[in-house]
Amino acid sequence: MAKLERLLNLTAALLATERPLSAEQLRQRVPGYPEDRASFRRAFERDKDALRDMGLPLEPELVPGIDPPLEGYRIRQDQAFLPDPELEPDELAALHLAASVVKLEGVEGLEAFWKLGGVGPDVTPTDDGTPAVSPLPADVNLVVLFGGVVERRSVRFGYRGLERAVNPYRLDFQRGRWYLLGFDLDRSEERAFRLDRMDAGARLYGEPAAFERPEAAVPGLRLSPWQLGEEEPVIARVLVDAVQAPSAVLQVGDEALAERHDDGSVVLELAVTNVDGFRSFVLGLLDHGEVLDPPELRADVVSWLADLAGLP
Amino acid sequence: MSPTGARGRQDGRSRASSGNRLQRLLALVPWVAAHDGPHIDDVCARFDISPAELAADLDVVFLVGLYPFTPDQLVEATIEDDRVWIRYAEMFARPLRLQAEEALTLVAAGQALLAVPGTDPEGPLARGLEKLARVLGLEPGDLVDIDLGQTNEPVFALLQDAATEHRSVELDYYSFGRDRRSTRVVDPWHVVTDQGRWYLQGWCHQAGGARSFRIDRIADARLLSGRREPFVAAPRNPPNVRYRPDDDQPRVSLALARSARWVAESYPVDNVVEEANGGLLVSLPVSSRPFLERLLVLLGPAARVVEVDPSLGDRALVAEVAARLLARYR
Repeated sequence: MAKLERLLNLTAALLATERPLSAEQLRQRVPGYPEDRASFRRAFERDKDALRDMGLPLEPELVPGIDPPLEGYRIRQDQAFLPDPELEPDELAALHLAASVVKLEGVEGLEAFWKLGGVGPDVTPTDDGTPAVSPLPADVNLVVLFGGVVERRSVRFGYRGLERAVNPYRLDFQRGRWYLLGFDLDRSEERAFRLDRMDAGARLYGEPAAFERPEAAVPGLRLSPWQLGEEEPVIARVLVDAVQAPSAVLQVGDEALAERHDDGSVVLELAVTNVDGFRSFVLGLLDHGEVLDPPELRADVVSWLADLAGLP
Repeated sequence: MSPTGARGRQDGRSRASSGNRLQRLLALVPWVAAHDGPHIDDVCARFDISPAELAADLDVVFLVGLYPFTPDQLVEATIEDDRVWIRYAEMFARPLRLQAEEALTLVAAGQALLAVPGTDPEGPLARGLEKLARVLGLEPGDLVDIDLGQTNEPVFALLQDAATEHRSVELDYYSFGRDRRSTRVVDPWHVVTDQGRWYLQGWCHQAGGARSFRIDRIADARLLSGRREPFVAAPRNPPNVRYRPDDDQPRVSLALARSARWVAESYPVDNVVEEANGGLLVSLPVSSRPFLERLLVLLGPAARVVEVDPSLGDRALVAEVAARLLARYR
């Protein structure tokens, strides 16, 4: 009880002051600290940790106009408080439902709702029918990287044995994995990094708002394998039989569907900039797919298969 | 949410009881102060606190203020006629900033639910996320993008309805393992997304057991009417959707070139041995022959079959498959 009161009074004092307050001034102004100097120091350190744990920015500053120099503390209101997002009740309820339905493994954050004014009690996800979302796998670095994305601070991490420095732009969850999209500062280009290949202990450095995010949306990873290339696009036509036609169309999208035949087979038209990716797609169809044109892509598949078959 | 008291956190740090109460008070005080005597039931529901705990916390708040703690510098906190009043708490004007973990919870969960087919892209969730992102200074899609997997929307909607209403369905399903299409009668239980794919879990009458079907392989689904057999209800603990190879699946031993090392990361290989040239020697459980055929044809010269279970074929199987596929082109 006493400690809660002291923490509240300490927070109040730090928020209300214009000038940084020294440890001694805080000891005089905030009731509940032990008399003994050493005990006070220990209690004060623990209190500062408690406040920092809650995300309050609390670093010592020099008290202006004092000589010899004296360290003091204050919390700047513009750094401490959450601006009002002005959420309507249904918007808040929708967010709460989302957070109840979708869990991020190992990430606790429901206190967020206290900061948004709490939620009404009747927000329960219904069972059956409501799509269940398995807990999204989280990664030990996920929260740190997200902090970097929000604050636009650079990040350092170990990746496949090398130390990397990146300006983080966005986190993507695709194909069941987390990726960080950002600007690789050593190689001077945009890259995607798999979080499961990062060493633990990614850390932010430098100041917030250290970089701008690119105007155009970072293309990310929604491209199909045959689109990931620098080559001139070539339009390929692929025949897929009735067995695989539905899943193939789903995979490439309706806009790629060029013809539908009576027997259930389809012809797909794909803009190919990556021959390896295209070949993998066609071969994945096994006996159910065939390259119709152009001749050079058809020849590429033929020579690949011929080599494997040990035929001319 | 759990009641007050020490709460263990997954990352190993445990919140001291006063720390958690402090967090809650720093949110509760500005909210109550900003509203005109809200009802105690409303406050307790919103902040997951019992009336007794609230009263105890308000007693503490009553002692909070600014030096020199003259009456005009003290916070006033009372409960009168079941309404909660807090005044003179200007220093706690607003709740604290969202911490990274809290913001991530909200943004990731919201974006994930938006990715579920059928969620209104302009509804309250989308609007709420946008407002939240704005106070964080960004668009929600700029922070976190979540893709839960592709799906056929009409099929998806039909399966959801069928699961809710406990109605059997007939599926036109492409089985990847058997490499053929078949019709199945299924009693649907749940639609679930896992690891970037959507699945239907239910009772398959053909198989006589619980099955998971990838929704992107369901070409068509129809509600069945007039079935006399009772609907097989979902078990209390539905089986895991994730594919787990079992020990008596046939294995193939592959020598992978460096460019094919990704196979060890994407498939449940056992027995990985590093090779001098940067490649790997792996043993891979094989669920079906078509799966193996696809993988080997795709890898081409980057993989060599060292040994294979006779039930799957012999070491020349790649050449045979390639010759078979080549026949189509010649």
